[in-house]
Amino acid sequence: MQNTILEVKNLTKKFGNFTAVDNISFSLQEGEILGLLGPNGAGKTTTIQMLLEIMTPTSGDIFCFGKQFKSHREDILKNINFASTYISFPPFFSVHEILNVFATLYEVSKRKEKITKLLKEFEIDHLVNRSYVDLSAGEKTRLTLVKAFLNYPKVILLDEPTASLDPEIAISVRNFLKKQKIEYNVSILLTSHNMAEVEELCDRVLIIHHGKIIDEGTPEELARKTSDCELSLTVVDDKDRAAKLLEEKNIPFDIERFCFTIPIDERNIASFLQLLAREKVHYQEITIKKSDLEDYFLSVIGEKIA
Amino acid sequence: MINWNRIYAMVLRDFINLRHNYDRLGDMFYWPTMDLVIWGLTGLYFVKQSQNEVLLSIMLTGLIFWIIVWRSQYEININLLQEIWDRNLVNLLASPLTLREWVVSFLIFGLSKMIVSLAFSGLIAFVLYRFSFFVYGFLLLPFVASLLLSGWVAGFIVAGLLIRFGSKIQTLAWTGVYLIVPFSAVFYSLSTLPSWAQAIASLTPPSYIFEGMREILFTGTLSYDKLLISFALNIIYLILSLWFFVFMFNQSRKLGLGRLI
Repeated sequence: MQNTILEVKNLTKKFGNFTAVDNISFSLQEGEILGLLGPNGAGKTTTIQMLLEIMTPTSGDIFCFGKQFKSHREDILKNINFASTYISFPPFFSVHEILNVFATLYEVSKRKEKITKLLKEFEIDHLVNRSYVDLSAGEKTRLTLVKAFLNYPKVILLDEPTASLDPEIAISVRNFLKKQKIEYNVSILLTSHNMAEVEELCDRVLIIHHGKIIDEGTPEELARKTSDCELSLTVVDDKDRAAKLLEEKNIPFDIERFCFTIPIDERNIASFLQLLAREKVHYQEITIKKSDLEDYFLSVIGEKIA
Repeated sequence: MINWNRIYAMVLRDFINLRHNYDRLGDMFYWPTMDLVIWGLTGLYFVKQSQNEVLLSIMLTGLIFWIIVWRSQYEININLLQEIWDRNLVNLLASPLTLREWVVSFLIFGLSKMIVSLAFSGLIAFVLYRFSFFVYGFLLLPFVASLLLSGWVAGFIVAGLLIRFGSKIQTLAWTGVYLIVPFSAVFYSLSTLPSWAQAIASLTPPSYIFEGMREILFTGTLSYDKLLISFALNIIYLILSLWFFVFMFNQSRKLGLGRLI
């Protein structure tokens, strides 16, 4: 059985009459990657700020490693770190100076070796003497990640960890995160707008909207909750008959040259194909795109907005 | 408990910044030099007009020793602002660094820079005007200590406002302490002030120090009551200013310290 590393109980944050985070509860298990998904202004950053103790909750409790955060802040923060694209470092410091200061702050043993190792892992070891101000956006993001892993953290909060990274580097960062989870049992709380990344990395996802957790589950479980599929049919000879049939049966579709795209509930696919067979509509190619986390996220957030 | 490794990390951060940041390096030397040149020469002119040598000493004493108050306040505030300007505040406050350790690091670094500025100003005053602040003998130490505490008091009050309202009121870092200059009797005797201003001045610790310094210059003696009152007021104010800073920090944390970056 996994250990609960982080536990949030009835966390609420109000700013006057506005409730940014509304009575949310969740937990993060040892070695788990938990995704926090939500549109802008949903309350993700507010939640992360409360988890880092840089914002006081209006009510609720946060427990980390079994200890209450507000009374064991110092002990807990020794074993936590974070990376966010919204923060920065002193612009004229070199990469080494930045990491040396933070390694000292976190009392990292064998600072030099640790810094060198992480810089190599994130492929920025050649930038060790370069000033922060002279780094590209992607290099800055990777430096933020190096800082986040400096103190051998047991919990990492990552806010958009692969934003501004090119695809190749983003893949290596995702591989690094997976390795940390497998080899060191690191627990990660992650926010991202990249749904494919969340699906790839996260064991579990919380969907947060207007400060409330509106759903949670594994990416697969959530994706299965929407039964909408996209059926693509390539019909060459019977194109006109196919279009007429769909219109008669009031089935919505888009057509581009010979390719029909039909949004359809996956439970109705079999009967739809039977209908085509019955009407002797021949198709050359068929593809079915099942719904994924992004489809589910858009449907659930869309419903809430509507 | 204070963790000295983390304090060392913060002092290291400030020293690295000093090395890279010519603004910070420059203001240790530039302003004291300009003040001493301009006002020292003005003092020399008055001496020539009045044939009163002690006037120059009064002027230079005021200039050099006010640097202690100003720099000790300024260093606390500018180091806090630096974290805001660099968008580095959250990195620090989300680390195990405690508020107490952060404050101690401010004080250590500020004290170091203040000592350098003071020594440099003393050197300039000696080279240009043959004035030595060692004229105050061993009393130099309590004078410096009391003025240092006054600077810290002003520093923590302004820091409290900065941590709550952010860089939109950053001008206070440069101007805040000047609110007490008219009541601190830096260059003139308290008796010059109107009675209502004297009442306010009696509540400002530096006024006792600067009055005491002039007493030494004029009479060669010092009434130790002035020193004691100055220390007593400074200690009371320091406790209140620290309380104010912590209170404002907690108020700011309610709103989220992330908004300051």
